[in-house]
Amino acid sequence: MPSGIAVTGVSRSFGSVPALLDATLTVPAGSVTALIGPNGSGKTTLLLMLATLLTPDTGSIRINGHDPVTEPERVRALMGWMPDTLGSWPSLSARAALQTTGRMYRMSGEQAAVRADALIALTDLGDFADRPSRVLSRGQKQRLSLARALVHSPGVLLLDEPASGLDPAARASLRQLLRRLAGEGAAILVSSHVLAELDEMADAAVYLADGRTASPEQVAAAGASARAWRIRSLDESALERALATPGVVGALVQVLGVDQLGTLVQVENEASAAALLHNLVLSGVPVCDFGPAVGNLEHTFLDLTRDRPARHSSVVVNPEVTP
Amino acid sequence: MSDRNRLFLTGLWLIVTLELRQRVRGVSWYVLLGVFMLLVGIVTFLLWLATSAWLSGGGGVFSTIIFFVLLLATLVSPALSGNAINGDRDIGTLATTQVTLISTGQLVLGKFLAAWITALFFLAAALPFLIFAVVLGDVSLGTISVSMLVLAAELGVIAAAGVGLSGILNRPLFSIVLTYLLVAALSLGTLIAFALLGTATQQEATSVNYQVVQSIYDEQTGKQSDIVCSTAQTSTYTVPRFDYFWWILAANPYVVVADASPGSFDAGGRPTDLFGQIAVGVRSAQAAPELYTEYNGCDEAANGYADQQSGIGPTPQETYDGAVPSWFIGLFIHVLLGAGALAWAWRRTRTPATHLAAGSRIA
Repeated sequence: MPSGIAVTGVSRSFGSVPALLDATLTVPAGSVTALIGPNGSGKTTLLLMLATLLTPDTGSIRINGHDPVTEPERVRALMGWMPDTLGSWPSLSARAALQTTGRMYRMSGEQAAVRADALIALTDLGDFADRPSRVLSRGQKQRLSLARALVHSPGVLLLDEPASGLDPAARASLRQLLRRLAGEGAAILVSSHVLAELDEMADAAVYLADGRTASPEQVAAAGASARAWRIRSLDESALERALATPGVVGALVQVLGVDQLGTLVQVENEASAAALLHNLVLSGVPVCDFGPAVGNLEHTFLDLTRDRPARHSSVVVNPEVTP
Repeated sequence: MSDRNRLFLTGLWLIVTLELRQRVRGVSWYVLLGVFMLLVGIVTFLLWLATSAWLSGGGGVFSTIIFFVLLLATLVSPALSGNAINGDRDIGTLATTQVTLISTGQLVLGKFLAAWITALFFLAAALPFLIFAVVLGDVSLGTISVSMLVLAAELGVIAAAGVGLSGILNRPLFSIVLTYLLVAALSLGTLIAFALLGTATQQEATSVNYQVVQSIYDEQTGKQSDIVCSTAQTSTYTVPRFDYFWWILAANPYVVVADASPGSFDAGGRPTDLFGQIAVGVRSAQAAPELYTEYNGCDEAANGYADQQSGIGPTPQETYDGAVPSWFIGLFIHVLLGAGALAWAWRRTRTPATHLAAGSRIA
């Protein structure tokens, strides 16, 4: 049986407003895939369809080989969904909410209690576990929401903006947790706007713009395009002089400017970046920092969204559908 | 019981207890019940004084408390049940429940049962006073059981309407208001419609009179002779045709409760409780008015005033027994209404959703 998520040619519109035009992606078991796209690009619509809440107009979805439209119950038993809205029963404590969710997955009372305790420890909710969830902070609610998605140890995880509202420590542990779950064989799809963070945990990325997923060729082209690199030197004037020297800076390099973090240069590709570093070091510039100014995902994302033609004539924003 | 049924009931009960924990917990709920009991207590005491219940029995007190429970439950129940589904959607707990193994049927039915149980708490809170009324005497077992069962059913209908509308409409405020309007339409709207339609449908009635103009009265026999009779004196007037519209009242929940209770009458055929009075009123509306009446005073004068009863109509009990009971039609319509609302809500809440109305959302 094929495991993981497989989406082929899925579209969905609400009335006359298209939310998703053509989405194709796969998330193999044991991997984390990032779902990246601007607001209103259809990320949440796609996740709602994967979570058995919405039917696609066209195309097919398989979750571990099961169709969420015709076999929603099978899909629900093996899929965990963390929505971007932080909903929890206001008068129930985090512990009671997790136990109730466990019971909704047909666990016995004891099983649900054991599982709730384990998840409270896992998501570090111990200090707040017995307070009514209406007093929890956003970050705490976010952790509760993640714990709820994990109640039945799902093999497929759908996370909609899981990192928003989390402090850096919680983000780090979320990252570790997702990597560990993927290591245990889960297929994980994460949508997020914090692209730098996805860079560190995602094995692959799916770009969604105007309701369409970018093809692998587009992604490869965008990833390889010219990008800004940041250089910092212990001796800024030496760096400035070296960058002004024609022999050091190749034809494919262009100085963009200086900010408080260092000097930004536009470099055509990674080969010319390596050549530039080589030359700077040879010229005796004490380089202490040399790297891409933006992460891989962000660079690709910006490149893919920058050149989109007629963005405003085909606005795909559907605020009513976005929870 | 099959495994499937057991799983269904376990999930259903989980939703019921979750709803009750969500809505019916906390101090405010007990304050509300306390105020309710206080009100019922005051009403009971005043009724006890007003109806001289220590002499006439507890029928009047009992029936009025039942109506009072119906009144307060219809005032509170829509607020508690009218946002059951769309309110959950607003706080983001609907979709997270729907991605679990809880089915839409369990969700809608569980919310309905929880709303019904909540309303039944009001009946339970009124129990001490109902028992007091029964202790006063003259309340039949039939009246007790039937009125309480039908009241419970009516409370269920209101709960179903509230939960149903909360699944059909997207905005909680709107569905709560609509539930109130529905309750008002059934409780007051039926009365207004009945009264207006009945009085608007006037019909002409004719009465013909013959009167004695002149006669000779024999004091020894007490009889009249040589009677000179007047010509026919015809007068016309209009009468409202309430008999065309009595069925509207059958849809009134108060009428349903009253009409369902077995009538209880005293020796003179007068009803001994509020149920009986209302039922007699509704059933007497079934009779068509006499459109042609003739009174011949000359005949009477010649033959003696033998028919002493002619001026007095049937007793209330005779009216009651002679007419058709309507409560089961009303109750049937109400149950159909409640079940229909729930079924529609189930359709609208089902996932994966194919059609979304404009402005609606899932999660």
